[in-house]
Amino acid sequence: MKKLLALVLAFVMLFSLAACVSPSVAPEPAAPEEQAEPEKEEAAEPAEEAEAEGEAEAADSELADGKFAETRHITVEIYDRNNDGGSDPTNNMYTEYIKNGMLEKHNVEVEFVAVPRWTEVDDINTHLAAGTAPDICVTYSYPTIKAYADMDAVINLRPFLDEYKAELPNLWNWLGETNLYWDSDPNDGTTWAIEAKLANMNRVITFVRKDWLDALGLEEPATKEQFHDMLVAFKENADTLLGDDADKIVPYSVSFDVGWRAATLIESFLDPDMSDKEYYVNGFDDRKLTQNGTKEAVRLLNEWYNEGLMWDDFALYGSGDTTEDDMMKAGYVGAFSHNWDYPWRGGDDSIAANLKRLVGEDAKYIAIDPFEDKNGGHNKFLAGPIDRKVFFPITNDEPLASMLYLDFISDPETIQFLQIGEEGVTHNVLDDGAIEIIAATGDAIQNSGMNIDYTITCNGLHLLTDELTNKSLAHTYAGIDPEDVLRANEIAKTDTRVGINVQAGDIEAEGGVGDTLSSKRDQVYDLAVKAAEGEFDAVWDEGIADYLSSGGQDIIDERTAAWDAVYSSENIR
Amino acid sequence: MDRGGKRVYQMARTRKNAVPGKKTGSAYFRRYYQLYLLLLVPLLYLLIFKYIPMWYIMIAFKKYSIVSPVIDMKWAKNHGFEYFIKAFRSKDFIVALKNTITLNLLDLVCGFPVPIIFALVLNEIRMKRFKKAVQTITYMPHFLSWVVIYGLALQLFAPSTGYVNLLLSRMGWKTIDFLGTSRNWVRTYIGLGIWQSFGWNSIIYLAAIAGISPELYEAASVDGAGRFQKMWHITLPGIRSTIIVLLIMALGNIIGSGFDRPFALQNNLVMDRAEVIATYVYKAGIKGSQFSLTAAVGLFQSVVNVIFLLGANWLSRRFGERGIW
Repeated sequence: MKKLLALVLAFVMLFSLAACVSPSVAPEPAAPEEQAEPEKEEAAEPAEEAEAEGEAEAADSELADGKFAETRHITVEIYDRNNDGGSDPTNNMYTEYIKNGMLEKHNVEVEFVAVPRWTEVDDINTHLAAGTAPDICVTYSYPTIKAYADMDAVINLRPFLDEYKAELPNLWNWLGETNLYWDSDPNDGTTWAIEAKLANMNRVITFVRKDWLDALGLEEPATKEQFHDMLVAFKENADTLLGDDADKIVPYSVSFDVGWRAATLIESFLDPDMSDKEYYVNGFDDRKLTQNGTKEAVRLLNEWYNEGLMWDDFALYGSGDTTEDDMMKAGYVGAFSHNWDYPWRGGDDSIAANLKRLVGEDAKYIAIDPFEDKNGGHNKFLAGPIDRKVFFPITNDEPLASMLYLDFISDPETIQFLQIGEEGVTHNVLDDGAIEIIAATGDAIQNSGMNIDYTITCNGLHLLTDELTNKSLAHTYAGIDPEDVLRANEIAKTDTRVGINVQAGDIEAEGGVGDTLSSKRDQVYDLAVKAAEGEFDAVWDEGIADYLSSGGQDIIDERTAAWDAVYSSENIR
Repeated sequence: MDRGGKRVYQMARTRKNAVPGKKTGSAYFRRYYQLYLLLLVPLLYLLIFKYIPMWYIMIAFKKYSIVSPVIDMKWAKNHGFEYFIKAFRSKDFIVALKNTITLNLLDLVCGFPVPIIFALVLNEIRMKRFKKAVQTITYMPHFLSWVVIYGLALQLFAPSTGYVNLLLSRMGWKTIDFLGTSRNWVRTYIGLGIWQSFGWNSIIYLAAIAGISPELYEAASVDGAGRFQKMWHITLPGIRSTIIVLLIMALGNIIGSGFDRPFALQNNLVMDRAEVIATYVYKAGIKGSQFSLTAAVGLFQSVVNVIFLLGANWLSRRFGERGIW
């Protein structure tokens, strides 16, 4: 009996172990070998385009009226935001729409692969290594794609874009050469990714508590000095504003990500007329750390910090932490700078909605534009009309079907449906024809604002006509006064300078250092804002020196050389 | 079982001496194959998860490609040592190495004696119920993840909202920035580490103490030894070999470190002290896709750890202790 038991036990353990191990281990040695073959073909540089063209022609004959003769199957990455009470990102009203549309129009079966939003890069890494990456991948990080491309893990999209231009009318109409060729190599045209279009380029603006201004009889600040006086007034009158919670007041809140969360202030210190070259050379970091003028902006923040006008603990809470949002929701924060629509994001759980519930009907944030630049304007640097990057991993054996997917998802009608859903379910049509978004339930819940996760070639409201888009923009936030939204939109579009695409080729020094440098950047900002009085210069200079010697200087030098090699003047525009 | 095994083994030996041949070995095996079958499972585990992955150490010497098998990847420059050279030229790696050693040494110096002292003290407590309660309470933090502990630390120590600082400021004292300056952060880091682990680590010492023969204590009492004398002359020597073994293992980990503790506790203000090799590898390697570089760093770390382990073991044997092997 004992023997039998031992035997059974041993086998059970063995099998359970085998069962645990096999799915993760078994494909590993097998999969890369399978992939190695096509990868070599693709990687052989001179043969590459001819090869792809050959493939393309072969596939072309199978396309009749944009439809494959035999049903094809592709997989598409979709962010899983894991929202409380959200819908299944791989199976809901919108995925059904896409699946049916693709099947009808192109005879392509679409399967969605959920990837956690906040660990997307790690997850795609794993998928790529295991040979299970979705055919269409999306990420915000071009350096990641570049790193994959250097490992021969990405398909060159250029031949498909050019060869099938006629089959991809919507894609070409919507993105055009600007976005499709944005990442193309200036020498051989190699294109590892195409850039989604930022339909609404609004970036960071500043918000202030309207009811606090009213309570203290203050005007909206129009200059840095007035803004500072306002913060001081908030602090001195904390008892009036917050009563028992007076010690919790935060006149101006900035998170650990100072470069983003004080962007308007920082940009007001930069020269609005700086040359394209200067902007590009110092522009590896989108938080403007190495631009000329940033130091003075942070010095001002440091003064405010030492006057007790800012959040003491800002550097201790990392990305994704909700502590600061909670303070805003509870009504402790007087002013902050953030994405132009930040207080209204999240429907019922938005900052605005919570503020109304917890503090009172008239408690709300309004947009202001208080940071004047040296010309008296309100300089705001925008990034350029680009957003997420779409790429095909080398394991994609249906590049044409995948391209047709991108075409389908760029169809204005598809975009409109994904963004506003069905009438009566996710939106109402107002008297003037404008679309008003209403809170949806069940299958129709949008896990991301305006379904940005599905419209992978488009970020921002984009309806069939511009007129409709503009009319509706103010109504896209359920329960928010449209006037407030229009005002924020107007401020976000004041005195902007749109980023241009500098096609100076790859900068080798940028490879693999992105994350190291962005965490260094945050450290420099945080330490400098928190520096004791009189120590600011030392702290800032030491931090910048560290940043530059960790690779920042190499990038600046290489960018300077690359610019000089391609352009003859300091400006492109 | 044990005794039976011994007997059979002896039988097998004697028989083997008498008639050398295969038969005896197979008889032994036929009788005990189930035990070997059971052993197969952990052996397989070791093979699959500990030995097969060693093949991938090659990544440290090759130019990593995410899609091709290791064997097909190209060799790195400088006879494969490109990434080692790169690591040692990198300022960040040197800082991380320095921090790892500093934090681990501090952990060792401050943290190692605590569970021993605690076990000694606990051993002297006669009230069983109290003893049990204390033990349970001190074990508890061991089961908390570091992310949770950082959450607790923020609740307690954050400059403006932490309870400790609220208390300090209400009593009219100056608040202390426990997490925001490098010096204080190191103290908090070490303190939290000790708090989290001393209860748990004391278990092994308590077990060793339980193994000391009570007759020794009785004899000492008869000779008129007091409590402290008994502690010093009986308990401590009784657990000396346990202490040595644990010390060797701790030394073997002097430039290794867990990932979650430093990663959960670090913040932007203290990175000059808080970046350790594990977190550096994660940031530069996993997030920056520099897999070869970080494989090289990891390999270096392991080799140094083994050297320390062997060194500590050799030292302890020189001083007349048993060592680990």
